[in-house]
Amino acid sequence: MITDQLYEKYLSSLLEGERKACIRIVQELVDQQIDLKHLYTDLFQKSLYTVGELWEANRITVAREHLATAITEGLLNLAYPQVFQGEKTSGNIVISCTANEYHQVGGKMVADIFEMNGWNGYFLGANTPVDQLLSFVDEVNPDLVGLSLSIYFNSQSLQNCIEAINADFPSQDIIVGGQAFRWGGKDILKQYRSVDFISTLEDLEKQIKDA
Amino acid sequence: MEEESAIFEKIHEYLDRSAPLFFLIASPDGLISESNNFSKALTGNDLNGTKIQDLILDFSGNFDLKQLAGEPLQENLISIRTFDGLPQSVYFSFMEVDEYILVFGRLDIEELEKMRRDVLALNRDLNNITRLLHQKNAQLERLNEEKNQFLGMAAHDLRKPIGLITSYSEFLIEEVSSLLDSEQMEFLETVHSAAFSMKRLVDDFLDTSAIEAGKFELDLQPGNISDILRQSLKINSLLAAKKDVNIRVEGMDSIPSLMIDASKIEQVFTNLIANAVEYTDPETEVLITFCYEGQKMIVALRDSGPGIPPEEKDRLFKPFAKTSIKKPGKARSTGLGLAITRKIIEAHKGSIWVESVPGQGTTVYFSLPKD
Repeated sequence: MITDQLYEKYLSSLLEGERKACIRIVQELVDQQIDLKHLYTDLFQKSLYTVGELWEANRITVAREHLATAITEGLLNLAYPQVFQGEKTSGNIVISCTANEYHQVGGKMVADIFEMNGWNGYFLGANTPVDQLLSFVDEVNPDLVGLSLSIYFNSQSLQNCIEAINADFPSQDIIVGGQAFRWGGKDILKQYRSVDFISTLEDLEKQIKDA
Repeated sequence: MEEESAIFEKIHEYLDRSAPLFFLIASPDGLISESNNFSKALTGNDLNGTKIQDLILDFSGNFDLKQLAGEPLQENLISIRTFDGLPQSVYFSFMEVDEYILVFGRLDIEELEKMRRDVLALNRDLNNITRLLHQKNAQLERLNEEKNQFLGMAAHDLRKPIGLITSYSEFLIEEVSSLLDSEQMEFLETVHSAAFSMKRLVDDFLDTSAIEAGKFELDLQPGNISDILRQSLKINSLLAAKKDVNIRVEGMDSIPSLMIDASKIEQVFTNLIANAVEYTDPETEVLITFCYEGQKMIVALRDSGPGIPPEEKDRLFKPFAKTSIKKPGKARSTGLGLAITRKIIEAHKGSIWVESVPGQGTTVYFSLPKD
């Protein structure tokens, strides 16, 4: 269970760049067989949101924000033996960050949440060129494509990507999410019939269950 | 003039306290009299009173402070010792002013920034590959499970008809051989030997499937090793007779009853004896000896076959591992028998090992605890 005290200890270790202390905390939670969704939402997502806010408020440097993100990404590996367990029969999703988008941890966590719910979650990574994404979609014929956007300045690249998918695969369903939409900007998505917006990991989990 | 002095004072204060710049004041022979916060943080020391020459890593032995101070606009790439013992490359400029030498040093910010981005990109790639590996590994485990289920089902369905062929052909060899001519007898023996090999193969598949599915369990009961050995010898008697191989047993008189799974230990003896007989030269002997070491019973099976090259010994007990030594005649091997044998022995808390000299035969040892 993630108590407030444990969360604070984890957050301060993360901000100090104490990777080993973070590993110890997460490994203990994994060993205690914590529900991984709680690990993702109540520890990883929550702490990364705080790190992002501290950076926006100029209370930590961009280098420290990057270090916290890099540590978190490494910590996801501790959960993977459980994330990928079990049958994956619910469907296939391809998750990708758009071109010039280098923040990938959110997208990766989305792919993992799908895996936890019996999907095959293919993750293509940061800064994926559109042609590479299209060719992968062609190869695996997914039920869904997920696009992650963390920096709003990259929204044009997101739109280009959606339009390219629509052109090549007109019936392809797409979900979009990410921190770029934290202060609004979702209106740009309304013009696309096949696109749904997902605001948080909890939202995503609910939508997968309801589908 | 006063204004200028105030400006220089502020610049000096900034250099001393906050500037991300290495700044020292030293005497012409290199003795440092003033060092700023940045230089202290980078080296981990208050440098006042030390010499510049002691700070730098001068691999060439050509460091000449006087000459460098004579080229004030020249930047020199020099490595220094830092707080964590690791070297750091710094671009240094030396300027002679009156009786002092001013030392300025800067880090290559562009290079550091590029490296930071590269490290982040490498970290991302590494984590993505790790994720993919976990994903593929899980997929392979699921496929392996399906394969084992199929293997188990197929082997289970084949076991009964093959068992019937083995026992009926054995019955015919024992009971009606007098009615058959030599050619008919040879056909019958071929049928029996082929069915027997197939039965071992199917048993191996069933065992492997059970082991991999985590369903390998022992039914431990007090068991009589002599009875088990006799049964295994009987099973292998036809094979031994065909090659005119004599199987001799020594030290079996005082074997106590052990806590074992009798059917599994019989499988171990049957498998090891069959291997010894198959590999040993015709018209020779296979020797089985029993001895005791502390609380362990040790069994040795020695053949006079071609032996095993030393580099292949570790491979013997791994599933599907083949060695360069081929089974004589038409005998086939799945490469599973010894892996299963080891699994059975280890499940009994025993161990199995091999001693062999190429050209001089092989001895397989296994131990079982007496209690």
